[in-house]
Amino acid sequence: MDIFSDLIMGLSIAITPINLVYLLLGAAIGMIVGVIPGFGPSAGLAILLPMTFGMDPIGAIMLLAAIYYGAMYGGTITSILLNTPGESATVASTFDGFPLAKNGRAGPALVMQAVASFVGGTVGVILITLLAPMFAQVSRSFGPPEYFLLALMGMLTLIVMIGENWRLGIISALIGFALGTVGVDLETGQGRYTFGSAELIGGIYFIPIAIGLFGLGELFYAFYQGLHRFGTGGIVNYENEDRFWPTRMDWISTRMTMARNSVLGFVVGVIPGAGATIASLMAYSTERSLSKTPENFGKGEMAGLVAPETANNAASSGAMIPLLTLGIPGSASTAVLLAAFLLWGLRPGPLFMEQNPELAWGLIASMYLGNMALLTISIFAIPLFVQIIKVPYRILGPTVIVVCALGTFSVNASFIELYIMFAAGIVGFFMRLYGFSAAALVLALVLGPLAEEALRQTLTISRGSFMIFVERPASVWIILVTLMLVVMLPLLNRIGKKAQMVKKLDAG
Amino acid sequence: MTIQFEPTHWLPSSTVAALSACAIALSAPVMAQEAYPSTDETLDWTIAFGPGGGNDIMARTIIDILTKYDLYPGDVSAENRAGGSGAVGWGYLYGQDGDPYGISTTSGSFVTTPLQADTPWQPEDFTPVALLATDDLVLVVNGDSEIQNIDEFIAMAKAEPMNIGGTGTVNVDFIVPTLFAEKAGFEFDYVSFNSMADQTTALLSGALDAMVGNPGEILGLIDAGELRPLVFSGQSTPDALGDTPTMGDVGFDIGVSMPRGLILPPNVPEAAQEWWIGTMQKVVDTPEWAEYIASNTLTPTVIYGEDFRTFLGQTKTNFESVLKSVGAIE
Amino acid sequence: MRPVTFTPEEKDLRLAFLLVLLAGAIFYTYVAFVDLSFMTRSGRLGPGFFPRIVGVAGVFFVGWTILEALRDRQALLVDQAGQRWSDAVLLIALAIGYAVLLRLFGGFPATVVYLALALSILNRGRYLQNGILALAIPSGVYLLFDQFLNANMPPALFDLTF
Repeated sequence: MDIFSDLIMGLSIAITPINLVYLLLGAAIGMIVGVIPGFGPSAGLAILLPMTFGMDPIGAIMLLAAIYYGAMYGGTITSILLNTPGESATVASTFDGFPLAKNGRAGPALVMQAVASFVGGTVGVILITLLAPMFAQVSRSFGPPEYFLLALMGMLTLIVMIGENWRLGIISALIGFALGTVGVDLETGQGRYTFGSAELIGGIYFIPIAIGLFGLGELFYAFYQGLHRFGTGGIVNYENEDRFWPTRMDWISTRMTMARNSVLGFVVGVIPGAGATIASLMAYSTERSLSKTPENFGKGEMAGLVAPETANNAASSGAMIPLLTLGIPGSASTAVLLAAFLLWGLRPGPLFMEQNPELAWGLIASMYLGNMALLTISIFAIPLFVQIIKVPYRILGPTVIVVCALGTFSVNASFIELYIMFAAGIVGFFMRLYGFSAAALVLALVLGPLAEEALRQTLTISRGSFMIFVERPASVWIILVTLMLVVMLPLLNRIGKKAQMVKKLDAG
Repeated sequence: MTIQFEPTHWLPSSTVAALSACAIALSAPVMAQEAYPSTDETLDWTIAFGPGGGNDIMARTIIDILTKYDLYPGDVSAENRAGGSGAVGWGYLYGQDGDPYGISTTSGSFVTTPLQADTPWQPEDFTPVALLATDDLVLVVNGDSEIQNIDEFIAMAKAEPMNIGGTGTVNVDFIVPTLFAEKAGFEFDYVSFNSMADQTTALLSGALDAMVGNPGEILGLIDAGELRPLVFSGQSTPDALGDTPTMGDVGFDIGVSMPRGLILPPNVPEAAQEWWIGTMQKVVDTPEWAEYIASNTLTPTVIYGEDFRTFLGQTKTNFESVLKSVGAIE
Repeated sequence: MRPVTFTPEEKDLRLAFLLVLLAGAIFYTYVAFVDLSFMTRSGRLGPGFFPRIVGVAGVFFVGWTILEALRDRQALLVDQAGQRWSDAVLLIALAIGYAVLLRLFGGFPATVVYLALALSILNRGRYLQNGILALAIPSGVYLLFDQFLNANMPPALFDLTF
C-alpha cells in the first residue's frame, strides 16, 4: 500500500531525537498558550513563529503544528474551570463544560475533554492519511453561497442558546449582530459605526467580548452571590468533587458522540474558512437534537462537552487538508503555518505533497505522535489544573481578572480591546443577573458578519438572484442537511420518545 | 516644541544654540552627522503590525541583514506596536518627531489607513528613506476556464460583465482592477473578500469568474494549473509567473502598487536620512534581500529619499480619487 | 438555589439597564438610517441593510421588554440566594481601577498595586500571603508573557513619547 509506505517514511522522519524534542516542546507550549485566555492557537502561533527562524523546515513545521493542536487541547481547560473561552472554537465547550465543573465534576470533564480531543484529533489525522485527495475536492466546492448557508446552519445553535426567556435571548443575539456590523463594510469600504477611530476599522474583535462576557461576567456574578465568602471552591462546587476519573456511564454515553462528531468536525474543518468554531457549534446542536435528554444540555451534560471538543479538534486536523492539498489556509492558525511555509521558500499547492513528500508525510506522522503526547500530558496536567478551583475564590477572583486582562492585551497590544473586555465584563454581569444570554450574543457576533458578508457576496455574484442557492450542488447538499437537522431529527426523536413511553406504560 | 531624544552629551549645546535660530539651523545637522548613528543610542524600530505578518517579516529581514553585515553600529530594538491597522505604530513614530533613532517599515495600510480613519498623520509627513519593493497583483482565472489570455478576457468582459474577486475594498485589490478596467474599457462587478484564502476558494468553487491577488500565496495553484495567470500589475513579471504579460505590456499601464519602504519620523536631520539611504543601498544588494524579494514575489522597485515621498503622495491621490468615485470614502 | 423575585430597587435598576439598552438601540438605528444606505448604487444590499433590520428589531424587542417590565413587576425570576451588591460592585470597581492602572503604569507595576489592594480588601488580615501573591503572580505572568512567549505586556504611559 502506498499510503502505508508513505506513512512509515513519514514516521522515520518524525522519530529522530531532535524532532521528538521539538514535538514535545511544541505540545507543551501549545497547552500553556491555549490555557491563557485570549491566546488561541492562531495568536500563539503568530507570536512563536519567529522562534523557528533558522531551524530546519521539518523540525520547525513539527514544532508549529504541535503548538497548533496543543493549543486546541489547552483551550478548553479555562472554558470548563472558569467559563472563560480562550477563542471562538471553545465557546461551545463552556455551554456544558462549566456547568459540569459547577456540579463538582471538573475532573471527569477535563479528562473527557482530553480524550475527546484525542479521538477527534486522531480520527482527523487518519482521515487525512487515507482520504486527503477526496476531501481536497470538498474544500474546493465552497463559495460564498455555501458559506452563507453554513452560517445559517450555525445559527440553529443560536435558537438553542436563546433558551426559555426568548425575548431576552433575541435581544442578546441582536446586540451581537449589532456589534458585528461595526468596522469597515467589506463590500463598499464605507466605515460603519467607526466614528473615525482607526482602532475600529477592523471591527470589534471577538476575543475581548467573549472573555469579558463569560469570564468576568461570571466572576462578578459569583461575587454578587457571595460565593467568595465560602472559603474554598467558590464558584465551583469543589466539596462535591468526589472522583477524578469519569464514570462508566460517561464513557458509554459518549462513545457514539465522539464517533459522529470526529467525522462531522473533520468535514466542516476541511471547508476553508468554516473551521473549528462552526464545527463545534454544529456538533453541539446536532448532539442536542439527537439526544434523548435534550433538556439536560446546558446543565452539565457530558455529551454536550464531548461533542464540541471532538469536533473542534477534528476540524483543526481537517483544516490541514486545504493547506496541504491546495495551499489555502482554512483558518487563522493555518494561515500562520502557510506564512511559515512561504518563509522557507516552499510553495504549498496541489503539487506540494508530491514535491515535498518528506515534509508532508513527516508532518502527518508527527500529528499521530503529537496527539498521543498531548493525551499523556493532559492526563498528568489535569490534576494540577483541578488545583486551580481549590484556590479560595477571594484570591482566585482578582487573579483571574489579571490573567484575562493581560491575555486580552497581549494578543493585539491594544488598550481599546482591554477596555472592551472590561466593559463586556460589566455588561455580562447585568446580562447574567437579568437573564439575558451571553452565549447568544457571542454566537451572533461570530456568525452575523459571516452571514452578512457571504450573502452580499453571493448576491453580487448572482446579480441579485436567489436561484444561485439551488443551482450549485454543494448548496443543495447543505440545504438538505439543514432541513434534516431541523425537521427530521426532532421528529424522529419525538417518535422515539413516544415509543419509549408506550414501552414504559406497557411495562408498568 | 518637539521633544528630542538625542545623545545627552550635546543636549546642553543645543540648548545654547536654541538662542540663535540661525546657528541651530546650520550646526545641528553638522553635529548630528558626526554623531549619527551613535553607538550609545538604541535604534527604536517600530513594527506597526503583529508578529508573523508581511510588515513584520520585512522589518526583521532588514534587521537581520543590518546585523549580519554590521551595517548598523548600535543596538536595534524591534517592537511590534500593532493596532488600528497600523495607526498605533505609525502614530508612535509620528510622535517621535525629529528623533533620528525611530524607524519603521511601511506596507499597504500606510496609505489606506489615513484614508479610512482620522489619523493625525499622513504618509507624506514622515521622512522618507526608500521605497524598497512593491506588492503587485496578478489577475487569474480558474484553470478550467475557457479564457486563455488577457485579450480573450477583455473581449469576454466587454461582451458580458464579469465578477472579479479581491481582498477588501479600500485596498489595492480593488484599485488595480478598477483602473485597469477603465483603461481597457470593460465593466465588472467587484466581489470583496476578507482574505486571499476566501477568494481563492470562491474562485476554485466556480463562484467567481476571476480574481486578483498577490502571486506569492497562489504560486502552488498556478504551478499545478489550477489557476491561470492572465496579467501582472507590476513593472516586470516575476520569474515564477513565466511569460505572463504586465499591464504595461498589453498597453494599459496603471502605475499603482503597494509601497514597501522604510521611513523615519517627521523632521529628522537630513544627515540621518542620507545615512539611511546610503545604508539601504547596501542592503538591497545583498543576496539575503534578493531571496526575500523572490520568496515573497515582490517587485524590486527601488526609489530613494524625496522621490519616495512623491511616490507616496501619488499613490494616495490615486486611491483617494478611485475610492471617492465609488463612495467608499468621503 | 431557590427562585426569588427582585426587590423593588433591583427592578428599578433592571429598568435602568433596559433603558440604557433602548438608548443604544435607538442610536444604532438612527445611524443606520442616516449614515448607511439600504442599497448600493448598483442595486445590491448596501451597508445599511442589516444594521437597519437589526436596529429596528432591537428597538422593538427592547421596547416590548420594557413595557412588560413596567406592566408586570413580578415578571422576572432568577435563582438567587444571599446576593450581595456591595461585593459585586467592589470587584467591578477594582477591575475598573486595574484598567486605569494598567494604562498609567504598565503591566507589571499595575498588577502588583492592584493585587495588593484587591487582596488586602478581599483576603483581609493575611499580610504575608497577600504580599507574596501580589509579587509572585505578576512575576510569573511577566516571565511567561514577556520572557518566555515574547508576547506584549501593557507599556507604561510615561514610556510613550508624545
